[in-house]
Amino acid sequence: MQDLLSVVTLGSIYLLFALGMSLTWGTIDILNFGHGAIFMFSSFTAYLVLQQTELGLPLIVLLGLVVGALMSLLIQVLAFEQIIKRAKDKRTAEMQILIGGIGVAIIPLAIAQHHTKSNPFGFSSSTFTVDTWTMGDLRITNIAALSIVVALVLWVAAAVWLRRSRQGLALRSIGVDAETAALMGIDRRKMALVTMAVSGGMAGLSGVLFTFGLGAITAESGDTLLVKAFACIILGGVGSMLGVAFGAFFLAAAETVVLTQTSGSWVEAVSFGLIFLVLLFRPSGVFGRADVRRT
Amino acid sequence: MMDFYDSNLVLIQATCTGLILALSIQVPLRMGVFSFAGAGSYGIGAYLAAILVIEQEVSAFVAIGAAMLATAVIGLLLGLLIFKLNGLYLAMATVAFDLIIGVITINGGETTGGSTGLYGVITDFTMGQMFALTVIVLALVALSEVGRTGRRVDAVRDDPELALSMGISLRRYRLTAFVVSGALGGLAGAMNVLVRSAIGPLDIGFGLIVLGLTMIIVGGSRSWKGAVIGAIIFTWLPDILTAIGEWQELVYGIIVALAAVFLPRGIYGVLVDLNKWLRRRRRERRDPPPAVAAEQAGDIDPKPGDVREFALNEETVP
Repeated sequence: MQDLLSVVTLGSIYLLFALGMSLTWGTIDILNFGHGAIFMFSSFTAYLVLQQTELGLPLIVLLGLVVGALMSLLIQVLAFEQIIKRAKDKRTAEMQILIGGIGVAIIPLAIAQHHTKSNPFGFSSSTFTVDTWTMGDLRITNIAALSIVVALVLWVAAAVWLRRSRQGLALRSIGVDAETAALMGIDRRKMALVTMAVSGGMAGLSGVLFTFGLGAITAESGDTLLVKAFACIILGGVGSMLGVAFGAFFLAAAETVVLTQTSGSWVEAVSFGLIFLVLLFRPSGVFGRADVRRT
Repeated sequence: MMDFYDSNLVLIQATCTGLILALSIQVPLRMGVFSFAGAGSYGIGAYLAAILVIEQEVSAFVAIGAAMLATAVIGLLLGLLIFKLNGLYLAMATVAFDLIIGVITINGGETTGGSTGLYGVITDFTMGQMFALTVIVLALVALSEVGRTGRRVDAVRDDPELALSMGISLRRYRLTAFVVSGALGGLAGAMNVLVRSAIGPLDIGFGLIVLGLTMIIVGGSRSWKGAVIGAIIFTWLPDILTAIGEWQELVYGIIVALAAVFLPRGIYGVLVDLNKWLRRRRRERRDPPPAVAAEQAGDIDPKPGDVREFALNEETVP
């Protein structure tokens, strides 16, 4: 049972991180490789602020959220919009965005590495303390419980937003056919900005919660998580909200099994191997709609 | 001259291996195959060469040959395996392949030296041989960019349906891309380990993919000249940037980001455009014809070698 609980905790962090990536990729066709940098840098900003003043948990979380959303908007306006404006077709744009994201991500990474000298940083100076609650045989920290609740609430909210609201309908229609959507009067630029802000906010939030949960993270943490999130998304199927949750918890479970059953550091290979296998046997993922695009 | 050579030997070596690594990603990209498998082949090649030298005490020639052969075969198998994938999916599958290689080397026990890697790889490999190999590779890649082969490669990338209808086997070209990418990656890795005498898991991580990619994105992804420009810039830039002190990483990041966003065809693409613009200016000044005539003259430029590049760079973006 304790193992199951740790799977759920780990899975909810993956979910929170991958949710934002899945949202932008599934709707506005942006696979943001800066997502890991946003995750890390939001947490890093909170760390810098905490060195100046003392803050409680709610304010730190809010700070992470805001920084993440702002960074995401900045990347969208300064990089991705410029790329889309210049690219001659959708496929070129996709590639350029992938490369541009990798390029942009170097900047926050460089700043954080320079400041921390690549040492781990954490929120030791916050007023919030991590407690462990015991229920029978089960032990859970308050921050883990918070992560699980936040991840599930945001996941449900995102799914409902996409399914039920007018904006969600507009977003999904961009995902299916961007040009027709534009003809129907959907402001693609505005929708893209909203989506990127939401996605970045989620990345920031997960960064702060992850740092709290783990105690400290390094500047490079974002890169690893990026590949893992990619594994979650394609396992579930791009654009599927149910899929990304399935992917996140499946990956967490698989990693926990590998971690407890094998020696050495094979854990990292789980997500990479998963990507490979899914792309090989079922590129549309478990819950994905069939991809109709051809060469 | 010799002083410069001696004091910068490490950087010169790094330029050669970086260049070949960049080519191992650029060659498939030019055929429309968005594969980063070259970085994984680099890791395989480096480790294989190191193991052969340490355990079998083979010569540098044998080590490099074996590494290239193995990575070419692995490239072929990988290509057959993920042949159906395209675009982003292909890119990510190959990234996963690269990272798996990294995990395997960490867990390889004695054979791969775990997280410390392998060291003490000492052979008779000389700088002359390294330059010779680099020049041969460059010449072969340059050959594939001109004439019939060059045009076919362009067709396979820019309009696969057209290429197919002209009787070009897409399958064969794409598989070739995987094999060549594998062999080049293997060569780069093997050469690197032979001159540096050590290799570790940190040398073949995600950073290696980013390095190879930034070289061709900043340099230019359509020509071997772009790869040369990129390899030189990104090998020497960190060294030059130490002059500006502690913010070098940041400046590096800004350069890469700007190039990725605003110069999709890289520095080489800009040079080609600039050259073209200058020539048109000069011609117009010599005898100013009506605008339309100037346009036409610009399109059928008399220098044969450059015509193809102009035609290419005018309409294609990676």
